[in-house]
Amino acid sequence: MPHDLPSHIAPEAIYFDGTSSRRHRVTLSFGERLLLQNLEGETLASWAFGDLRRADAPSGILRLSNVAAPPLARLEIRDPGLAAQLTALCTGLDDTGPARHSTARIVRWSVAAAASVLLIAVFGLPLIAERLAPLLPRSFEQRLGVVVEQQVKTLLGDRVCDDPAGQAALAKLVEAVRSAGGLDDHVAVVVLSSGIPNAVALPGGKVLLFSALLADANDPDEIAAVIAHEFGHVAHHDNMKVLIHNGSASFLIGLLFGDLSGSGALVFATKTLITSSYSREAEHDADTFSIEVMQKLGRSPKGLGELLFRLTGKQGGSALDIVASHPLTEDRRDRMRSLDAVPTGPPLLTAAEWQALKAICKRS
Amino acid sequence: MNEMSSVPQVPMVRSGSFCGSRAEFRRLVLRGGLLELITLGFYRFWLATDMRRHLWANTTLDGDAAEYTGTGKELLLGFLMAVAILAPLYIGYFLLGIEAESLQTFASVPLVALFYLFSQFAIYRARRYRLTRTVWRGVRFWMTGSGWAYALRASLWALAVLLTFGLLLPWRTAALERYKMNHSHYGELQGRFEGRGLELFKRGWWIWALTLAFLIVPSLLWLPYLTIVVLPALPVLFALYRAMEWRWWLSGLRFGAVRLQSALPATALIPLYLKAIGWSALLLMGFSLYLGLGGVVITLLTGGEGELFRPEALQNNIAMLVLTGIGYLLLIVGFNAVMRIYLLRDLWAKVVNTTTVYGLDAAAEVAAQGELATALGEGFADGLDVAGF
Repeated sequence: MPHDLPSHIAPEAIYFDGTSSRRHRVTLSFGERLLLQNLEGETLASWAFGDLRRADAPSGILRLSNVAAPPLARLEIRDPGLAAQLTALCTGLDDTGPARHSTARIVRWSVAAAASVLLIAVFGLPLIAERLAPLLPRSFEQRLGVVVEQQVKTLLGDRVCDDPAGQAALAKLVEAVRSAGGLDDHVAVVVLSSGIPNAVALPGGKVLLFSALLADANDPDEIAAVIAHEFGHVAHHDNMKVLIHNGSASFLIGLLFGDLSGSGALVFATKTLITSSYSREAEHDADTFSIEVMQKLGRSPKGLGELLFRLTGKQGGSALDIVASHPLTEDRRDRMRSLDAVPTGPPLLTAAEWQALKAICKRS
Repeated sequence: MNEMSSVPQVPMVRSGSFCGSRAEFRRLVLRGGLLELITLGFYRFWLATDMRRHLWANTTLDGDAAEYTGTGKELLLGFLMAVAILAPLYIGYFLLGIEAESLQTFASVPLVALFYLFSQFAIYRARRYRLTRTVWRGVRFWMTGSGWAYALRASLWALAVLLTFGLLLPWRTAALERYKMNHSHYGELQGRFEGRGLELFKRGWWIWALTLAFLIVPSLLWLPYLTIVVLPALPVLFALYRAMEWRWWLSGLRFGAVRLQSALPATALIPLYLKAIGWSALLLMGFSLYLGLGGVVITLLTGGEGELFRPEALQNNIAMLVLTGIGYLLLIVGFNAVMRIYLLRDLWAKVVNTTTVYGLDAAAEVAAQGELATALGEGFADGLDVAGF
């Protein structure tokens, strides 16, 4: 270092008293205690050896603090011989201080915390969502539903199909499914004009049916099964459950990885794995609801599976099964096909009503 | 030192020097990166602390090394405090979003501005934490001022910078630094900042103009190839700007009569950025090679013929997914180590070694003052993923 003082006045050690930045050159005398004396022979401090702790310093310098002195008081020794002499006398040099964290302990508790959080996310959150979702007031759900509906309409077009004859046929179909499913009359189905074959259940009980799905359907049973599936989501409060579950899962995992904004590939991957498994379960349960409703109506439950398969084709092996939000279409179709039965109930719509429903989007 | 204060006609000139061992720092960040991986990131508080301790302790000014007295535990605590505050805020943000959306679709988007405000608060308070843990000659630095007042200023300035396509950036930097330094102290010495926005602008305006031209001209002329040609120039421009900014910033710092002067050459940081980019590219190549080899090995082990050796088939293979996941995590550890070695340690060393201090006799006997600040800001910075210095 270029700033070292000339050797003839070189002090044995440098002392900062922690109350001012003044650099004291001191000599050390070892007795019962360590005496720090300035060049005039004045004693500046008297330190007990057991109180001395090592502080951070560049290599080659021994820097000491004293637990009984002002916290920033420092003694710096640059002479290796003197440093060794002093080190031998100090018993608690490395007892506490910044370097004393136990890496093993940090690792242990981090892994424990991670395991605990992941277990909660996988097993605890579904239970919480299950219990909590039905307790939310319907007005809150409906309010959310309005928001989602607006977003869907902004993205996909907002033309509601309302041909009167089609409406009448739809109302008849919906009423049949509703009463068979045991739902009260806050549920409703609206057909939106859209080229995307899909249907969504909104929070609050409204179901949006996109017209392309009507165009692809072969008979009223298929549409009834789709509506029943969506009503299954409504009956199970799935929107609220998914909201609670996925929201908390994202939050917990974000918390775990220290990234509250939820970015980062790791957070994303974990979140996707956990939320998609939950969503697949919800879809499976909605299928069950649809099957039961169709059986109660005396119609075959296989329509939903057939319609879906027509839309998506075979899915297995082409995408990552474990991150898919829905069960594989062929699995759903096979399940419903296995329950196929000869209809025992009357057709849900007459041929004329079915034609009217398919034409619900035509402008009068 | 005190003998010398009796001859004040010659102001004392002292240089800074960084004497840390590069190998030691490399070991520190590699080990720390792996521990971060094992602890799912929790080790980051201790790693950040260890890196700062290394950098501070090896930074010598006028023969005396600085010291960092912060601890990993404090950072963890700051993170927990930030979670306690941010958690209800996220919920409130969510609910407010619903309310705003029901009035007007997608009206909640401007709420993001709130998080910008928070991140600026974080930057201020994180600096305050670091400064109050910085000790030199047994006296600590400290900082007052309001994080929210700063956040408001920073956000308004950011808006102005955005509206002028970056033209006002030097003035923003100067104004914010003035606020920070006016509230900074070393013991009883009051800090201030004398760097002028105009000064930085005069030196760096051509970088701004070139960057803007590089970004706009290719898209205006509809020449996407041109973008590819000028892309390598961007890190060089950035390194030039950073060196310029460091030099301007250090030369503007004052503590009482003590002032700094930086002689950082304009091109000093270019090799660091290029090396960091080069190493990152190398790591990426290694990663692709690893994935390719992994794919071949798995295909051979599962005894698949040509049929299996398609990307789609491997995509759905659990073993391949696990291999990719592990490789990805190691890649991140590698990236972090490269950034920390070149853009933190090496950059720090270059900056410190080219810095000279004038008027240190004014700091020969400074009385200690000031309170420690909490690590709340560090926690916010961690939670919101922002960095500041």
